[in-house]
Amino acid sequence: MKTINLTLQIWRQKDANSTGQFESYPAKDIDTAMSFLEMLDVVNERLTKEGKEPVAFDHDCREGICGMCGAVVNGQPHGHIKATTLCQLHMRHFNDGETIVIEPWRSTAFPVTKDLIVDRTAFDRIISAGGFISAKTGSAPEASAISIQQDKAELSMDAASCIGCGACVASCPNASAMLFTSAKVSHLNLLPQGRVEAKDRVTNMVKQMDEEGFGNCSNEYLCEDACPKEISVVNIARMNKEFRTASRS
Amino acid sequence: MNQTSTYQKSSIGKKQIVAVTGLILILFVCGHLLGNLFIFVGPEAFNHYAAKLAGLRPGLYVVEAGLTIMFVVHLMLTLSIAHENAAARPVKYQVSNPGASKTHSSCLMPLSGSVLLIFVLWHLWDFTFSNHDGLRSVLSDGVNYGLYGVVVNSFKDPLHSILYILSMAAVGLHLSHGLQSVVQTFGLSDGKFLPVMKKISFVFGFSVAAIFSAIPMYVLFVLK
Repeated sequence: MKTINLTLQIWRQKDANSTGQFESYPAKDIDTAMSFLEMLDVVNERLTKEGKEPVAFDHDCREGICGMCGAVVNGQPHGHIKATTLCQLHMRHFNDGETIVIEPWRSTAFPVTKDLIVDRTAFDRIISAGGFISAKTGSAPEASAISIQQDKAELSMDAASCIGCGACVASCPNASAMLFTSAKVSHLNLLPQGRVEAKDRVTNMVKQMDEEGFGNCSNEYLCEDACPKEISVVNIARMNKEFRTASRS
Repeated sequence: MNQTSTYQKSSIGKKQIVAVTGLILILFVCGHLLGNLFIFVGPEAFNHYAAKLAGLRPGLYVVEAGLTIMFVVHLMLTLSIAHENAAARPVKYQVSNPGASKTHSSCLMPLSGSVLLIFVLWHLWDFTFSNHDGLRSVLSDGVNYGLYGVVVNSFKDPLHSILYILSMAAVGLHLSHGLQSVVQTFGLSDGKFLPVMKKISFVFGFSVAAIFSAIPMYVLFVLK
């Protein structure tokens, strides 16, 4: 078992109304087989034993599929390893003696509620604005009743792999939510089931995205680099086109 | 009408208007660049081109008014977008994203755009609205060369040339991001076309800057 010693600079903020600050914590004898969140667990155990407030961070599945975890590690959302969520980032990618700066997502639309936890309900409201299809309930339809082109199905599935973690917003210099919104629009608009409400969907979801206070996309594509699911910026291009078409009719 | 207003106020709508006005300005820059190349042919050709262009008035006023509107709309909307972007992240990161360094031209759009605004005002005062038949038109041989003389006399001053070349670097930087941005903003790019477009955009921006900069270099180092 290989262990390393680290110094953590972590953003601490009591609640949404407080002003936060960075605090320094030693992380000693960290097993390099641990995930980043397990390393934080170890640090929190020590803080609790010392009678101090543990660092609050979001997490759930710890398998890289739920989209719950996330923090900016040394300037990069989910850390420096490509296509990886924070829970799947392992400590073997860090060096002994390294100082790691850990910050929450920074965006007006994602207010910090405590330490590394941000309120991402803005994403939920964007989904509520159109990220669904209206379908009659009842028994499951015949599987081959609606034929779908293979390439469209693949593109839709690629878009659907967005886990809504918010790393795109965190990495964007303008805190734009275009990659998230475009993935959700593409996911449904590419399929025949989603075409019926396609125009309303793109119009309403973009409107909601704008109202939440996200910035504007300036085509820097840092979102694509930061995305743990490698969602392509082609989705943004698709949404731009769909939005223009929807606005004309 | 309501739909148009919603489009214009939306983030995507604003960006698409910025893109289309930018594209029109890019076309103007290309036309201007081609016209400027007459300077390499000689004073007669260059002055003849300038006179031909001036002869297109009053139709030219319409084009100039159109370009001014494009410029103002492009500027006003980008200012609004930049303001919204700043408000979207009031608290900056302690450590900046190391990956951001690869997008120099895009990060520098507000800066290169600001340089361009100052340059355009200076350029109009310097060449367009200046006296084309005064002392500045007379070259070392004592002959009045009109606008050609004004350009040559200006670029014989190294400081003038350096300021012009730096401005052209800003033009190149702005266009190298702008052109591919137009394609992405209008949704014309797919997975394969976007990387190619990024390269084309870079080469285009660099070429425009290099060709424009060749004029002061030619005056400084080649013309006697």
